[in-house]
Amino acid sequence: MAKAAVRERWASRPLFIFAAIGSAIGLGNVWRFPYLTYEYGGAAFLIPWIIGLIIMGVPWMVLEFGMGRFFQKSAPGIFEGIGKKWEWLGWWPVFVAFLIVSYYTVVMAWALRYVISSFNVAWGVGAAGAEGAVPYYLENVLNISDGAGVLGGLQWSIVGFLALTWIVVFLIVFKGAGVIGKVAVWTVTIPWALLVILLIRGLTLPGAVTGLEYYLSPDFSQLTNVEVWFAAFSQIAFTLSLGMAGMFAYGSFVAKKADITNSAFITSFANCATSFFAGFAVFSTVGFMMQALGVPVGEVASGSSIGMSFMTYPVAISMMPAANALIGVLFFLCLFFLGIDSAFFLAYGGVIAPVMDKFGMSRVKATTWVCVIAFLVGLIYTTQGGLYWVDMVDRTAAFYGLLITGALACIVVGWGFGAAKLREHVNETSDIKVGAWFDWLIKIVVPAGLVFVVIVGGFMEDVPEAYGGYAVGTLSGSHIIWIILGVTLVLSFVFQAIKTKGVSGE
Amino acid sequence: MSVAAILTTVIMWLVFIAGFAFCFSRIGKGGKWED
Repeated sequence: MAKAAVRERWASRPLFIFAAIGSAIGLGNVWRFPYLTYEYGGAAFLIPWIIGLIIMGVPWMVLEFGMGRFFQKSAPGIFEGIGKKWEWLGWWPVFVAFLIVSYYTVVMAWALRYVISSFNVAWGVGAAGAEGAVPYYLENVLNISDGAGVLGGLQWSIVGFLALTWIVVFLIVFKGAGVIGKVAVWTVTIPWALLVILLIRGLTLPGAVTGLEYYLSPDFSQLTNVEVWFAAFSQIAFTLSLGMAGMFAYGSFVAKKADITNSAFITSFANCATSFFAGFAVFSTVGFMMQALGVPVGEVASGSSIGMSFMTYPVAISMMPAANALIGVLFFLCLFFLGIDSAFFLAYGGVIAPVMDKFGMSRVKATTWVCVIAFLVGLIYTTQGGLYWVDMVDRTAAFYGLLITGALACIVVGWGFGAAKLREHVNETSDIKVGAWFDWLIKIVVPAGLVFVVIVGGFMEDVPEAYGGYAVGTLSGSHIIWIILGVTLVLSFVFQAIKTKGVSGE
Repeated sequence: MSVAAILTTVIMWLVFIAGFAFCFSRIGKGGKWED
């Protein structure tokens, strides 16, 4: 591992917090959280969700920020610092981040494609649009194949928008944390403003109140249901962009005497408040669709971010009584801006910073390499079978990879580095002092929560039955998940074995 | 909207406001930005 040069810094504390909030807020805040709230007891779901945030989300974020600040390095350097044998555990989430950003940028490319399509509501207006939205996405945009094993040709319009997305990411990250923080102010506030517009539009539609009733009406009997707690804890695990290496790097850019814990609390609260707010925009529109189409809520709402974004919401846009095109453009711009700061977080904090630290590469060189390789890997998702691969790789990286590496990181930091040592380090300079309870959360509660989610929501489903019903030759969807996961693990050990002696960064 | 839904909305926003108020009231109590 290279010796670090003078570490780059955030220009100010607010810019660091904006960058962290931007990385945390993504499509899941807008779709997954509101759906889970409706599905698992409405207001009652918010109780385990808040508990999960306090006992799992915030401590995990303090850990990643705090370890980054302590070692002044990104994930691989941190785990190498704990013990040379652990460096691979820093690389594994780097590969997880790489996989996620490789398909996340394709979803953003779809959003850009829809911004253009929205100018004339290309999937149709009124009843025709309601019927045409799904075929438009699957046939016109994706030209989807019969299965994951049939990749078909590249969809060149998506390739073009993917290239554009990566150019934007490159331009934002190649100058480092200073520029990222300044850009994040805009990429966080613009989606907030757009969500306000979409909320106003939603609330002024007929049937909006019915949708909000489904979103918020409490069913406290659900609190005795284990599934509700599982859903709440899994949402917390996924929503804060932890377990993807990036927050370690973001923490390493924090000045040595700066606060850690208060920034983690503010970031977590802002992320969760955005989720709660987005639920109003989503479910007011869901209520409108229920009334307009005469269908029950279960046929409108789903937890699939991609399905809701590109198949369900376009139906709502078609059915709106006025300003369909404008709402369409604003909605898909909102999706793009929600995604862009997560994308440059994954690219820079997750992958580029570790590469710079390890290989002593200049930022421009590392950024160029990472952006080009991730773009090339992303081409697979722009094929006719791309959607199936997005789903499988998402399951591999954003579910298994994130949870397993997150749990292992907590265990190694908690028991190997020492949770008490980390606590004392962050308390030295933080606005909010954490007590000894933090140690047990890091050592036991957080990893146990993550393992609980990965077993109940993952292995218990994907081991007995093939994931998604996919088949590629003789391989099932589950086989592919295990293979990709295994390859990233092996690569992590390979990267650990590579000896370097350069000087990182500039 | 039902009373329960309105109460939920109000309580949740109060929770968030209280959380933010606590965090912002603590700014500067421990950390400094510059090294």
